[in-house]
Amino acid sequence: MSLSEEMIKAIVELNEPKAIEIAKKRLEAGEDPLKILDDLKRAAEVIGEKYEKGEYFVADLVMAGEILKGLSEVVRPKLRELGVSRKIVGKFVIGTVEGDIHDIGKNIVITMAEAAGFEVIDLGVDVPPQKFVEAIKQHNPDIVGMSGLLTIAIESMKKTVDAIKEARLRDKVKIIIGGGRVDKYACEYVGADAWTNDAAHGVRIMLKWIEEKRGG
Amino acid sequence: MDRREKRRVKVLKEPIDILRERQQKEPEAVAKERLERLVRTIQLKEPDRVPIILTGCPPGFALRYAGVTGYQYYYDYVDGWKAIVKFAQDFPADSLFFEVGVEGHILAIAFPEIPEFMAATAGHLTGPMHDILRDKFSRFPGRELPETITTVQFIGGKFMEAEEYEKLIDNPLEFIRENILPRAFESLRNLNSHEARVALVKTGVELTKIIQCMNTLSEKLTKLGYPIAPLTNAYCPLDFIGDFLRHVRYILVDVYRYPDDVKAACEALVKPILDMALSVKAVHCFIPLHLNEMLPPKIYNEFYWPYLKEIILKLKEAGLTIWVFFEGDHTPHLETLLELPKGWGIAWFEKADLKKAKKILDGHTCIMGGVPTNLLLSETPERIEKYVKDLISDLASGGGYILSTGVADIPPETPVANLRALINAVLKYGSYG
Repeated sequence: MSLSEEMIKAIVELNEPKAIEIAKKRLEAGEDPLKILDDLKRAAEVIGEKYEKGEYFVADLVMAGEILKGLSEVVRPKLRELGVSRKIVGKFVIGTVEGDIHDIGKNIVITMAEAAGFEVIDLGVDVPPQKFVEAIKQHNPDIVGMSGLLTIAIESMKKTVDAIKEARLRDKVKIIIGGGRVDKYACEYVGADAWTNDAAHGVRIMLKWIEEKRGG
Repeated sequence: MDRREKRRVKVLKEPIDILRERQQKEPEAVAKERLERLVRTIQLKEPDRVPIILTGCPPGFALRYAGVTGYQYYYDYVDGWKAIVKFAQDFPADSLFFEVGVEGHILAIAFPEIPEFMAATAGHLTGPMHDILRDKFSRFPGRELPETITTVQFIGGKFMEAEEYEKLIDNPLEFIRENILPRAFESLRNLNSHEARVALVKTGVELTKIIQCMNTLSEKLTKLGYPIAPLTNAYCPLDFIGDFLRHVRYILVDVYRYPDDVKAACEALVKPILDMALSVKAVHCFIPLHLNEMLPPKIYNEFYWPYLKEIILKLKEAGLTIWVFFEGDHTPHLETLLELPKGWGIAWFEKADLKKAKKILDGHTCIMGGVPTNLLLSETPERIEKYVKDLISDLASGGGYILSTGVADIPPETPVANLRALINAVLKYGSYG
């Protein structure tokens, strides 16, 4: 098995010390840090697939997120040193909507989206509609993600979509909502373009949107 | 209105309206029926009809309906709680489940000698208690949140470092009392200070006040035919660590990084949690689960279930009816419930596949839930009626099913007609025999 394969395996098996050790070894051997980032993307995909199949659970995703974050931190100084950066596939603004403070799901999405090559602007938690609107004006993202766990989050998502419409920005962005209590009823009610309870599935939808946008 | 108009109104009266009148006119008879209906259902016998429990944790819908703000509700036990009575009057159910504050069990667990903590609020902090103790893990309407917002926020916090597991394991109560309380409550930052003593005495006074108001509320609900039974709370140890000590974000990583410490800590917390739950004489014990859905079966079976099971069995031995809320989708862990004795209590599922749950748990465990809150929020009364009809035909045969929302609240913006449709449908299609 190559070091690259071994590292991916260690990440997928949630073996944190081993994954970090291999990453360091690869950098010391002078390997291209962008290649290591590509492996993180691959590992995130495998973990996402396992979650979709019901083999992995939220706890596994949180731990995987910690490992991926740790590995990016290992790679980052090298990237800076070489003056290289990764190609961005798209821009993604995300936040937990007003009235809600749950961020486990949001953080998993961010890790997965970053691993997939998105530039992520994280607005944090309890984000009022106006802050989403301002972020769209400022960052001009391709996609806006709204997260929330509480029942009242659904109403906040609706208010946020309405505010985006009012600011005449609705046709500039795709909107995806996510969270434990989000479902098809919520998606219709809110007026989003897609919904998901599953970060990997969500990121796949986002990549498809980007492809359609670049293609069309 | 003339006689003909009166007759027309009478013809238009829906089942819910007939029940509303009846619960006011014959509260004692209605209460007896409700209690029997619930008891038979939990005992896995067929009652006269499928029971329905309506919830207000948080109480958003009831507040909007009564025109009460979140600030009034959480701070004014007299005027604010009128919203519960108005809701009970207009939306008759077999039982109601309302919260009056935010989970404050880190305080209750430290004082098992004082039953008032559990007797007043089942371990929750009300607005005035939040002001007195200045906890760092919640935000209240009218304080950190706008007055009109209808929910308190439990934001939690990291009040313990991973290096401190040993201390927690060694003597959990001493560690919580000496180290966690000063970190979690601003007013208790120096336990030997005058400030801390004042805060604790004031808390005691407040608890007495809450108990008085609770008694008044119970009297009002009794007059509306609601059977009243005291409730206590318990926790699964891993949830307790996640909610009150380490924060959810860190506990999920701790189970991978420090498995032995976490397991030993769970074991050490079983007794303090039981002592807290049993500090007061109650009839029911509610156990809200949080991390269950997030855990892979291997971790669930090692770190979560053994301790939860022990707590359920001990509480059952103490004569309590156990009521567990399984947050999220509990489907992967359903089989473990068969390790409990038949008729152990109520399993309230948020999103578990209830048809599958019924298949696995039929004749063993009473199931509760089934109605997604977003359905109430966004669908029409006709579609809600159809949904409830199907739900009852799928789940109610043989008893052991309580209809309720999947989570403990009804969205504030739910159309009144939709909630009426829900109750009407249960009254219309829920009868056995």
